[in-house]
Amino acid sequence: MKFIFVTIWVESLKIRRSRIFWATVIFFILVSSMMSLVMFVQKYPEISAKLGMIGDKASLLRFGEPDWKNYFRLLIEGMSGVGLVGTGFVTSWIFGREFSDHTIKDILSLPVSRVYIVISKFIMVVLWSVILSFVYFIFGLLFGLLVDLPGLSSEIISANGKIFCATSFLIILLCTPVAFLASYSRGYIFPIGFVILTMILANFSGLVGLGPYFPWAVPGLYGMPSGAVGMQLNIASYIILICTCLAGFFGTIAIWRYADQK
Amino acid sequence: MTTEIIRTESISKYYEDVRAVSDVSLSVRKGEIYGFLGLNGAGKTTTIRILLGMIRPTSGAAYINDVKISAGNTELWKNVGSLVEIPYSYPELTVRENLEVFRRLRFLPDKRAVDQIISKLQLGAYADRKAKNLSLGNNQRLGLAKALIHNPQVLLLDEPANGLDPAGIFEIREMLHDMALNKGVTIFISSHILGEVSRFATRIGIIHEGKLIQELDSDKLEALCKKRLIVNAKDLNLAQAILTRMGYSAEKNAEDLLEIESEEAIRNPDTISTEMVNGGCPPTLLKVEEEDLETYFLRTIGAEGGVK
Repeated sequence: MKFIFVTIWVESLKIRRSRIFWATVIFFILVSSMMSLVMFVQKYPEISAKLGMIGDKASLLRFGEPDWKNYFRLLIEGMSGVGLVGTGFVTSWIFGREFSDHTIKDILSLPVSRVYIVISKFIMVVLWSVILSFVYFIFGLLFGLLVDLPGLSSEIISANGKIFCATSFLIILLCTPVAFLASYSRGYIFPIGFVILTMILANFSGLVGLGPYFPWAVPGLYGMPSGAVGMQLNIASYIILICTCLAGFFGTIAIWRYADQK
Repeated sequence: MTTEIIRTESISKYYEDVRAVSDVSLSVRKGEIYGFLGLNGAGKTTTIRILLGMIRPTSGAAYINDVKISAGNTELWKNVGSLVEIPYSYPELTVRENLEVFRRLRFLPDKRAVDQIISKLQLGAYADRKAKNLSLGNNQRLGLAKALIHNPQVLLLDEPANGLDPAGIFEIREMLHDMALNKGVTIFISSHILGEVSRFATRIGIIHEGKLIQELDSDKLEALCKKRLIVNAKDLNLAQAILTRMGYSAEKNAEDLLEIESEEAIRNPDTISTEMVNGGCPPTLLKVEEEDLETYFLRTIGAEGGVK
């Protein structure tokens, strides 16, 4: 266990000393505030009119009545998008920077297994992503309270909280292919491009009815209300997602363990 | 009895159609400073990366302390310190934090190890400065500090003098020399500057186009450098005729001076001087010129600029 504790300490120090961590926290707070702004505009159409374009667009989006039920739905839908980008970015940074900063060569010939280094990096991706999800949800709640939306109850928080957590969990599982690509391409530009591509493909797969079988569309579909035709997840959806996660995980370990580090 | 600490057995590394390293077999004994010389792209860094388990040889094997080098053999690295090419450190961490990272990753129980190595590498003034704000020379010192923090018994250094000023180069050279001589540390050091490495290496290997073309003890290096007798006179044609009559082959060089490579002539310049005076053509210049180490190196690898 001493190996993993040391490598986690090292990884956490790198994150604590970087500005990127706080930038992502602020980004998630901003996105969460934008979700509440949509509800704000829905609730106060007169202000919406005064806001011009913002009001028109928000009205066009029609997220239903401005209440907590619809607000939570919006937050969860938002999470399925921003979470994928956020976790993808975090993973790209944690894995890719060792290559782009050329520090990789110093951590390969040490009396600590490369597998521990990879695992501790994944642990930090998970912790960082959980913190971002938590920040997004808590600030979402606070902004919702500020907008004074009706229909808040402990049951609705609990029910949506569970869906939110499950969505976040599914998103985090998808970090492993990004880590693989960061390690394979030896940097973070390529994996970030991949994350953007998966976002586009997730939307496209949803349009053609293949969303449940495209791993990156699964977190977004998880929170979908039942009854949406062609959008229902099934056991195959989760199997594909888990297989993608495992392939990314073992692929990343294989790259670190066996590939030439030129 | 000598102990081989580093050993390679016919290692080769091919990248598609490029032969980065081809059939290199070398050994470094305990306490030896092995200078590994070659031009840029000769295969030095590839060899060092193979020795560090960072890349796997296409064929052959490498050993440290008789243990086969492989990425999974983490125990091997406990007593090995390394610096590969330009050292990079975590830019957002200070010098002290960067070293603390390596103290922990090397499981060194003594927390004073960081301060000790900071002092040894004279990084005290920069201990709390972020690595990204260090000069190239101080980054090099930090790289060396990371390589030395655990007092390794084996050191693999790739161009360690990069970015250091002359005083820094001297200081590092003395430190490495002391480590090898007094502490029995085995040092494998690559460079493209023969003159620099030959000052403290005990043995030298020259690699060119991926092949180890020569290995020699550095104390024999001087003997291998070519010597020439340079002669000048007011009437160069007459001087050449006298020298030819004496049985020497004297050729005009690019500076319009006569050059003789004969060992006998080099050993007896006084005889030549006497003969020239007696022949009515006293020399205005008579000196023995020794090929410098860089020229020898270039000649050995047959590169342009070398004396053939």
